[in-house]
Amino acid sequence: MTEIGLLQSALLLGLYVALAGGYGFAYTLARIHNAIALHRTSFVLYGLHGLTAIAIVVWTPLQIGWKGLIIASSVAFLAIPPVTWRFLQLTHETEVQG
Amino acid sequence: MHLDDPAFWRAGAISTVAVMSVALIMLTVNSLAAIRPGGSHVPHYTVINEHIDYKFDADRGEDVPVIGGSEPLFGKTVDAAQAKALIGKGKMVIQSRACIDCHTFFGNGAYYAPDLTKAWLDPGWKTWEAITGAKTKEEAMVRFLMFPEKYRISERRMPNLGLTRQEAEATVAYLKWMSAVDTNGFPPNFGHMQAKR
Amino acid sequence: MYRSQQLALKYLTAAIALFGIMTIAGLMSAYYYINPNFLFGILNFNIAKILHIDTMIIWLLMGFMGAIYWFLPEEFGRDLVGIKLAEILFYVFCAAVAVVAVVFIVVQHGGSNEMALWFINQGRKYVEAPRWAAVGVVVVMAVFAYNVLGTAYATRKISGITAVLMIDLVPLLVLYLDAFPALSNMSADLFWWWWLVHLWVEATWEVLIGCIMAWTLMQLLGTSRRIVELWLYIEVALVLGTGILGLGHHYFWIGTPGYWLTIGGLFSALEPLPLLGMVIHAIYDAGTHHMKTTNRPAFYWMLAEAFGNFLGGGVWGFMFTLPQVNLYAHGTQWTVSHGHFAFWGAYACAVLSVMYLVIQKLRGLAQVDGRLWKWSFAALNIGVLGMVGALLVAGFAQAFVERAIGGSTHEAYLMGQANPWFVESMITRFIFGIMFAAGYVALVWDFLTIGKRRLVLAAAEAAE
Repeated sequence: MTEIGLLQSALLLGLYVALAGGYGFAYTLARIHNAIALHRTSFVLYGLHGLTAIAIVVWTPLQIGWKGLIIASSVAFLAIPPVTWRFLQLTHETEVQG
Repeated sequence: MHLDDPAFWRAGAISTVAVMSVALIMLTVNSLAAIRPGGSHVPHYTVINEHIDYKFDADRGEDVPVIGGSEPLFGKTVDAAQAKALIGKGKMVIQSRACIDCHTFFGNGAYYAPDLTKAWLDPGWKTWEAITGAKTKEEAMVRFLMFPEKYRISERRMPNLGLTRQEAEATVAYLKWMSAVDTNGFPPNFGHMQAKR
Repeated sequence: MYRSQQLALKYLTAAIALFGIMTIAGLMSAYYYINPNFLFGILNFNIAKILHIDTMIIWLLMGFMGAIYWFLPEEFGRDLVGIKLAEILFYVFCAAVAVVAVVFIVVQHGGSNEMALWFINQGRKYVEAPRWAAVGVVVVMAVFAYNVLGTAYATRKISGITAVLMIDLVPLLVLYLDAFPALSNMSADLFWWWWLVHLWVEATWEVLIGCIMAWTLMQLLGTSRRIVELWLYIEVALVLGTGILGLGHHYFWIGTPGYWLTIGGLFSALEPLPLLGMVIHAIYDAGTHHMKTTNRPAFYWMLAEAFGNFLGGGVWGFMFTLPQVNLYAHGTQWTVSHGHFAFWGAYACAVLSVMYLVIQKLRGLAQVDGRLWKWSFAALNIGVLGMVGALLVAGFAQAFVERAIGGSTHEAYLMGQANPWFVESMITRFIFGIMFAAGYVALVWDFLTIGKRRLVLAAAEAAE
């Protein structure tokens, strides 16, 4: 890998996870406060995360398997906040009823 | 609904841990065979009698150790038992002086001093032979290890750790053996400085 | 207060004292990079670094033990079995740590023989303590396990959290046995060493802190046992499900077969996923309680834990875990950046949270808040962020100059170390380290004083 490619790849990979985290953070806050602005922010952050994933696929010298993992992980990252939220509600609500 | 039943997730945790642990144990058994001296990735200790090089392998896309030709260390060929004793001594030196708390070995350790994985193959030793007045690379290495304070080449200095001649030779033997381990191409680009810049 | 809880207080006090030693040794280690003549020939870098990393491990272990000695008697409804023995061993443990440290500083190293390994320095990272001390650690941990398992046996009362803890203690203890061997073969040495280090900090310790956090959440937020247990099982499944084979991310370059690059890289890349779940859970808890809590510092340190773990372990880790990047980043200040951030986020924040909870119970405070804890919180966290950011820049410079351009030789190493980005980062790191140290002083002062003014006022009012 060239030295610039190294820095690019590393920064994109870090940004990729950070944006996934940002999306999760904003999504959860949006659910708590029922705020449309936060919903939109989470949407934007996931969009940026998606763009970062595409950038990794297009611009980094990773092999095809790793690029596949990045795409698959992006799908997982999309699902984690809503699934986690719904499951948190389920478990806590059952608790309240039970 | 079973998803909110802790017992379901307890079963999940137990089965996940069990499966992953079994996988780890199987891979460990396989790896231990590869990393024992004479295994696929780690040479016999008697490799210190031979010439070691590090060349790019197009199939693997990385540098790999290339071993061949007689090149006895300090002019003495050693048998398997002697090599094992020498390597064992070298490792005891490295541990007793806590070298890994300044240097790295296969990139593991501390980062205050250089990585020693391919130290034996470092192109800089030619200069060291001149600096230390030694006739061979290994002699230069021994002189440096015994009296590092005499050979200051940067702001950061190596302290004198009181190595005897025997300990220094054993350490050099250890570094030579270590340089012949197949590390899947680590460190990268070894010895190939990028010309353009 | 249970007798076990009094022992807990001793362990937590010792932990926070060692945190201070760790910080001083850390500042020293950082200073050598700025002034290489510092204590040269008197106390070299490797000794300062040994003190720094070993006290880190021990302060956290003592923090975990303190937390468990605190929570378990309430969990079992009785004092722990064998507590008298544990009390004696506490003092033995502290004395051993002191002796080991003094020998490190004064003797430093012996000859290349077994005696040196038994009595002075074993020279393997994190487990440099001489074998006699390692035996001591085994004894202390074995008695600790006896306290837990013996009480479970005596009461027959084993909650889900306790069961997870009990099962976790077995590999925790067994893995430590790698603190003893001195294998000649460096590949084999590191292979097993990583079983100890990775399966401690990225597996068994994660489970341990999960159990501690479960008890903390029950007390801090009044969360029900059923919920914390359910989520503890999920966490164990996800963290160990990714972390056990994630061990492979340490097997890229040590002479092991190439399949580890795929296996280790894959599972390591999956490790951030559960951490994202934890962040969401933390925000949910905070949000549903409207950020209201009876113990604000404990609560905020818990939030710091969730975010720190995700950022330090997840983001920082993911940046350089794929083999193609790791080839250049491995064994540079990049690793140091990740290590500091991950340990801080995953463990230190959690232990500090528990300490505030314990103080609340100790002083019978209905509400824990104040101004000083906020200064401490800010200084410690910003200190860490500054250090970690500086180290990341240094790591980038090193990977760039020494590895990618320079050809990874000795000369390339020197080039990297002399690079202006590297040099300035070392200074920046030191400055933020001082901020961190100031945060530590504020933390200790806060521990000593928080709530006491109110207690004094309340006592005065009662007297009137």
